Amino acid sequence: MTESVSESVATSGPPRVPVTVGVNGVSVSRQVEPRSVLVDFLREDLGLTGTKVSCELQVCGVCTVLVDGRPVSACTFLTADADGADVTTVEGLSDGQTLHPLQESFVDHFALQCGFCTPGFLMMSKALLDGDEVPDREAIVEHLEGNICRCTGYEPIVEAVEHVAEKLRGGPHG
Amino acid sequence: MTLPPFALVRPTTLDEALRELTEDSVPYCGGTELLLAMRAGLHRPDALVDLKRIPELTGVRAGDGMLVIGAAERHADLATHPLILERLPVFARMEKHIGNARVRNQGSIGGNLCFAEPKSDVATLLMALEASVTLVSPGGRRTVTVEELIVGPYYAEKEPDEILVDVRIPLRDGLRGAYVKFQTMERPTVGVAVLADDAAGWYRLGVGAVGEVPLAWSFGSLAEIDPDDIASRVDPTPDLAGSEEYKRHVTAVYVRRALAKLEQVSS
Ligand SMILES: Cc1cc2nc3c(=O)[nH]c(=O)nc-3n(C[C@H](O)[C@H](O)[C@H](O)COP(=O)(O)OP(=O)(O)OC[C@H]3O[C@@H](n4cnc5c(N)ncnc54)[C@H](O)[C@@H]3O)c2cc1C
Ligand code: FES
Ligand code: FES
Repeated sequence: MTESVSESVATSGPPRVPVTVGVNGVSVSRQVEPRSVLVDFLREDLGLTGTKVSCELQVCGVCTVLVDGRPVSACTFLTADADGADVTTVEGLSDGQTLHPLQESFVDHFALQCGFCTPGFLMMSKALLDGDEVPDREAIVEHLEGNICRCTGYEPIVEAVEHVAEKLRGGPHG
Repeated sequence: MTLPPFALVRPTTLDEALRELTEDSVPYCGGTELLLAMRAGLHRPDALVDLKRIPELTGVRAGDGMLVIGAAERHADLATHPLILERLPVFARMEKHIGNARVRNQGSIGGNLCFAEPKSDVATLLMALEASVTLVSPGGRRTVTVEELIVGPYYAEKEPDEILVDVRIPLRDGLRGAYVKFQTMERPTVGVAVLADDAAGWYRLGVGAVGEVPLAWSFGSLAEIDPDDIASRVDPTPDLAGSEEYKRHVTAVYVRRALAKLEQVSS
């Protein structure tokens, strides 16, 4: 009963939008409702549940993903706007065997407890470290200001990111 | 929470976009305000007209003594734009501290002004800079000052079929500017802009976020700016960020800080 109702809504609603999105290196083509937001597309259509959703106000940052390398709030980002773009989610950080240096550093520095905020912090941090300049502590704190963690008190998160930044500074990028 | 249904229109020219706009078919840019308003049930348009593919709304250029910024330009790009860093660094510094990094990657300057959110940093500094905007409708094109545009909280004085195409900021050689704000949550409690063109004897002060709309005044010298007098001129809105009395107090403090900061900057 409910199903047939939602089906008739779906077919009589506004025309769907064709999108082709590169998700963690895999090209995905779908017809989406205009109102589809990226976090629902990733979690519900593609089953990529690593990206979380909470405030839906662009305030907490748990839904952070990268669109063409830039962090956005996937809770308030239309899937249609990701058409033709490359989207990176937390699932794209590791190849399934080895952890990304940020993930490893988060583990080493106890930068997570419940872990709900972690995908968002990882993606925000990745965007920062992928930039032209290796950030100092102040830049890290400033960049992560828009993400909320209820457990860690932030200190270990900043240390974890700082540690990776220091390695980059000493390495080929530094 | 699922958004209410709407159609999405994605014009590639300004004319095409103008033909699409009606009371129920509204401009859409970064969506940072509009999608929230729709999710909250405050707004239920039939269609969103996406402005991001219209060339006239993009780019930053300088000419005829003006800095012209396309309405769809996003905060993050304006914060690092070479021309803005060179010609109007105070504007780039303000853009760098809007909301959070994700809002800066999505939100546009035009959307910020058209939404007329009372706690806007952009409107406060632009008002102090005596900036104006270009509005285009099927009937023609007009220029209005930011002061004329932002007439009330969440109320920009523009017709539903008008598109904000660009923001125009007069450039002044040797301008010094400081923008300081007090912010404990996502948006400022108070923002203060102070600008000085010593050669022209032109001094401006803008105060925003405390009240329903930003306010800006001209002075003959910096010495004329009395922080306590300014605190008595604003009309604070009491809210979660503080009472009226408290907001007057922080206004005076931040006017003082803005003046002190201006002493340290050369541009
Ligand atoms: C969490 C959070 C924190 C924020 N913090 C700050 C802050 O510290 N300081 C600050 O100044 N701002 C802040 N903002 C506001 C932010 O700057 C604006 O949300 C953003 O710039 C709006 O632009 P947009 O492109 O997303 O607009 P949209 O949401 O797409 O549109 C907003 C409104 O303007 C209309 N519109 C958009 N573009 C045009 C146009 N070119 N012509 C005509 N109408 C148009 C739309 O129809 C809609 O009514 C914050 C926002 C959020 C969500
Ligand atoms: S769920 Fe997107 S920012 Fe909180
Ligand atoms: S680890 Fe629990 S919210 Fe950050």
